[in-house]
Order: sequence, then structure tokens, then C-alpha cells
Amino acid sequence: MKIALICSQGGHLIEMLCLIEAFKRQDLFFITYKNPTTEQLEYKRYLIENIGTSLSKMIKTFFQTFSILKKEKPDLIVSTGAEIAIPFYITAKLMRINTIYIESWCRVKTKSGTGRILYYISNVFLVQWPNMAKKYGKKAEYHGAVI
Amino acid sequence: MIYVTVGTHYLGFERLIKKMDEIAGKIDEEVIAQIGSTKYKPKNMKYFKFIKEEEKILELYKKARIVLSHSGVGTILTVLNYGKPLVIVPRLKKFNEHIDDHQIELAEMLKNEEGVQVVYDTDKLEHSLNNAKPRKFKKSIKNKNLVNFLKNYIMVIENENMHGDINTISS
Repeated sequence: MKIALICSQGGHLIEMLCLIEAFKRQDLFFITYKNPTTEQLEYKRYLIENIGTSLSKMIKTFFQTFSILKKEKPDLIVSTGAEIAIPFYITAKLMRINTIYIESWCRVKTKSGTGRILYYISNVFLVQWPNMAKKYGKKAEYHGAVI
Repeated sequence: MIYVTVGTHYLGFERLIKKMDEIAGKIDEEVIAQIGSTKYKPKNMKYFKFIKEEEKILELYKKARIVLSHSGVGTILTVLNYGKPLVIVPRLKKFNEHIDDHQIELAEMLKNEEGVQVVYDTDKLEHSLNNAKPRKFKKSIKNKNLVNFLKNYIMVIENENMHGDINTISS
């Protein structure tokens, strides 16, 4: 099975690497931001420009999402955040690709901007603190954390 | 050695790096700082923006007597594995250090752990560094619940895909 792992660099990437055992037997690839730390990643990867809070870069990334997802045709997409996941999950919804979103461990009390959007778009929505499941609503599930 | 790290966020952490540079000028101990996107150039401590090789980063964590960091998940997950004293300064939105104030949440969850100190006012940083004690608290990154949930979910999709294929063949 082909799995796309989507995350920004730094903590989001380290969280994904904490979970890598779950995906190791599969045909996997990363979609992450271009950064000195991600250039060394020992997995197949697509490196894209950091979106941050820029709307124009978000739109630009949308065009990339179609070409990457059309070419790779993953069966499942998993993301640990952050905003890099938004355009990919919207495209995945249109292409009917299964998605799991995992809210970051650092979100103890408040929802992330990305989580607020992807709660409505992802197939499975996971949080890493029990209270956050209550905060988000019915769809959010808690099955432990990266630590 | 004091290892200072502010992560890979596209916003810098001027407040922490400037203050630590000032302290580094007053003490004998070596200070090495990973400054990321911070624009300020330290004068009293060794610094670099990012390191490509993960082993080199882990080497710095191992050598450090104290780790001083932003309240980032990557750093904290790593430090928890090494049992080093940790001083956390959360990035705050009002200083344009992050897009919101969520770094406070994780810092507050961890502030009562042994050997962890949380500092909001950087004028108190020197005092906290002097008070840093080794931690006995050592959590290993081995919670398997989330990994198992993901494995099971993948198995379910694999089965569905397989049955889907069989249905296509039989029709």
C-alpha cells in the first residue's frame, strides 16, 4: 500500500518519525518543506516551499498538490501538521484518497489553525491529549500520543 | 556546555538569543546556539542556523550540561530521552516569535516535571540557568498505542482494497 506522510520540518517531522514504525512495511514517501534538515531525510520525498501564513503561497502549493498526488496515487495520507497539510487534504478529498490527521502533541488546550480546518476534511482526526477530543467534538479520537 | 536551540520555525527568536548572548559574555562556560531564522548575530557564543546531519545535533544534546530551548515538540521529545536539565522559554506571539501562543501550553504541562524550568521573563534566565538541576525524570519514546492504532487502520484499508479488487475481478 502506498502512503504519503505530510508534515513541516522540525517538531512535526520528529513526531512523524516517532510513528514511522506504523508505516515501515508500506511503500511510503514524504511531502515536507524544503529546509537543510529535510534535505537529509532518508526517505523518498517531495520538498516544497514553506507556506507559513501566506495566502499566495498556499494557492501556489495547490497546483503542486494535484501533480504530486496524481503522479503518486497514494492509498492513504497521514499528517502531523502543520499548514502544509491543508492544500493536500483538500485535493485528497476531491480525489477520494483516505486521510488521517494527527494534531500535534504541543496542542494541549487549544486547537491549531490547521486542525480547525482539517477536522472537517480528514477521514480520521486524532488528538494527543484526551481533553482535546472533547474540545474538537465527536469525530476527534484519542489513541495515545507520540510519547 | 550550555546548548541553546530555537528550532526550525520561519520566525526567529531574537529575545532568547540576544539575552543568552549577553549572559554568555559574563560566564566561563561554553555556549553553543542553534539560532534558526533569528537575525541577530551572537558575539559571545558559537552559533549556527541549522545542522543537516541528525547525528551532529544529537551529539550536542549529549554533550550539553543544560539545554535551553523554545517550547518546541522536536527539542522536548529529544531532551526527554537524554535526561538533561531543561530550561524552556516559550515563543510568544506579541514579540512576533510565533503565529500564536500555543508554546505556552506544552511548557505549562511540563513545568512541574523534575529538572524542567519554564521562563517567561528573559531577565530571569540567568537565575534559572544557575538553578538547573539534573533530571531523574526520563520518559522513553515508546508509547505504542498510537502506532498500533495506525497499524490496525492500515490493515483495514488493505483488506478493503483487496476485497475491492476481488469484486472488480468477479464482476
